[in-house]
Amino acid sequence: MKRALSIEPEATSTEQALKKARAEAEAEHMAGKAEATDSAFKVALNANQRWASELQNHDSSFFPTSAKGQAPSILWLGCSDSRLPETTILGLQPGDVFSHRNIANIVSPTDISVLSVIEFAVFHLKVKHILVCGHTSCGGVAATLANGNLGVLDIWLQPMRALREKHAAELEKLEGNEKATFLTRLNVHCSVGVLRGIPTVIEAMQERGMTVHGLIYHLDSGKLEEVDCDEPEDIRKTREAVFARK
Amino acid sequence: MKRALTTEAETPPTSTEQAANKKAKADTMPVNKETDGSAFKVALDANQRWATELSTQDADYFPSSAKGQAPSILWLGCSDSRLPETTILGLKPGEVFSHRNIANIVSPTDISVLSVIEFAVFHLKVKHILVCGHTSCGGVAATLANGNLGVLDIWLQPMRALRERHAAELDKLEGAEKATFLTRLNVHASVHVLRGIPTVIEAMQERGMTVHGLIYHLDSGKLEEVDCDEPEDVRKTREAVFARK
Repeated sequence: MKRALSIEPEATSTEQALKKARAEAEAEHMAGKAEATDSAFKVALNANQRWASELQNHDSSFFPTSAKGQAPSILWLGCSDSRLPETTILGLQPGDVFSHRNIANIVSPTDISVLSVIEFAVFHLKVKHILVCGHTSCGGVAATLANGNLGVLDIWLQPMRALREKHAAELEKLEGNEKATFLTRLNVHCSVGVLRGIPTVIEAMQERGMTVHGLIYHLDSGKLEEVDCDEPEDIRKTREAVFARK
Repeated sequence: MKRALTTEAETPPTSTEQAANKKAKADTMPVNKETDGSAFKVALDANQRWATELSTQDADYFPSSAKGQAPSILWLGCSDSRLPETTILGLKPGEVFSHRNIANIVSPTDISVLSVIEFAVFHLKVKHILVCGHTSCGGVAATLANGNLGVLDIWLQPMRALRERHAAELDKLEGAEKATFLTRLNVHASVHVLRGIPTVIEAMQERGMTVHGLIYHLDSGKLEEVDCDEPEDVRKTREAVFARK
């Protein structure tokens, strides 16, 4: 029977106290029923109106120009985690980053959702860079390192669990955050590997120099760090020979 | 054989604009790989600056953020670069759990969206799901056309089925109005699919979670609610059919 995950895997006693306080607040909140539960939605709608009006005042051509089309240079494949809004953390503007976010930024070679995004962004919009971004304290990574019964999430996380299996010896030697971050990097590296086998991506890399990058976002600093996804020459040659299409 | 879509699909630019756009693109288009690297480097540098500024303003911001997330909202929107949900909602990192795909299609057997819903609704217990379409959507334009798009044709099939079902109404419309009509139908269909997902049904019944449909107007930056209210009899039938013991 599936059970809810604890969402803060490394909670200290202070954090546990915070969690309890938040749970109590939520209970009070829910007791206030409809008016209270609508508030986050209404707050968001109001904030959107304000944001749009401010931007309009600041630059009256921004929205009309934006409506004419998009020409992003970057495709972002990241995690759905609320702390990773790509345009915000990249310090960029609407129009700069085409974005697909899923649980734990897993790129699976037969996932039609990510394949459609890649097809549109790479073949049609001709983005110049694909950024695959994982992050510290990822709930999907924590779930993969645990053994809970998670229903549909177990199906989704299977590629990462296979990585955990393959690297079991190395992971055994690590603990806590270090262990999680190690698996996070492996997952980013693996996603980059999958991208390198997708025909549309291969063509774009060969024909117009599009590049694929792996990143990890450090939640405790807000800073992105590149994950080394360089391939030894012999591996690259084998891959190209196997994946070439005539 | 598949062909590239024109990217300014909805309101084609005038010939003067087209000439200007073409020139502007040619001027900014990099001609070699090192200049191609610039958008990536620019992004990395902008991230460093953003993180440093935020940290300076509030030394506790990132350490607190690293402890966990408690977003109230799950956003199911389009991957279009002009729709970064946290930015357009005027909110901050930590507030919106987000899944963006081509044309914000919610398909009942798409394991990617189902996993996001499972995590956000069952584990994180978000209070609201927002499904958001937008004007000038490339996926909508592609659905209203008949190009050969390879894997995208598979992905867009649910929306093409909507086009088929509402062909008579769509035939009476043109241009932006036609596209926006299909966009609203698509949002409505996605909300309907959500209402049939067990995890969503339980959360709505047990803790009052709500599902909302929205359309984002690119030319103003403003969100508008899409009416997804159900007549009482439709709701009762749906609940009877989807109830699980």
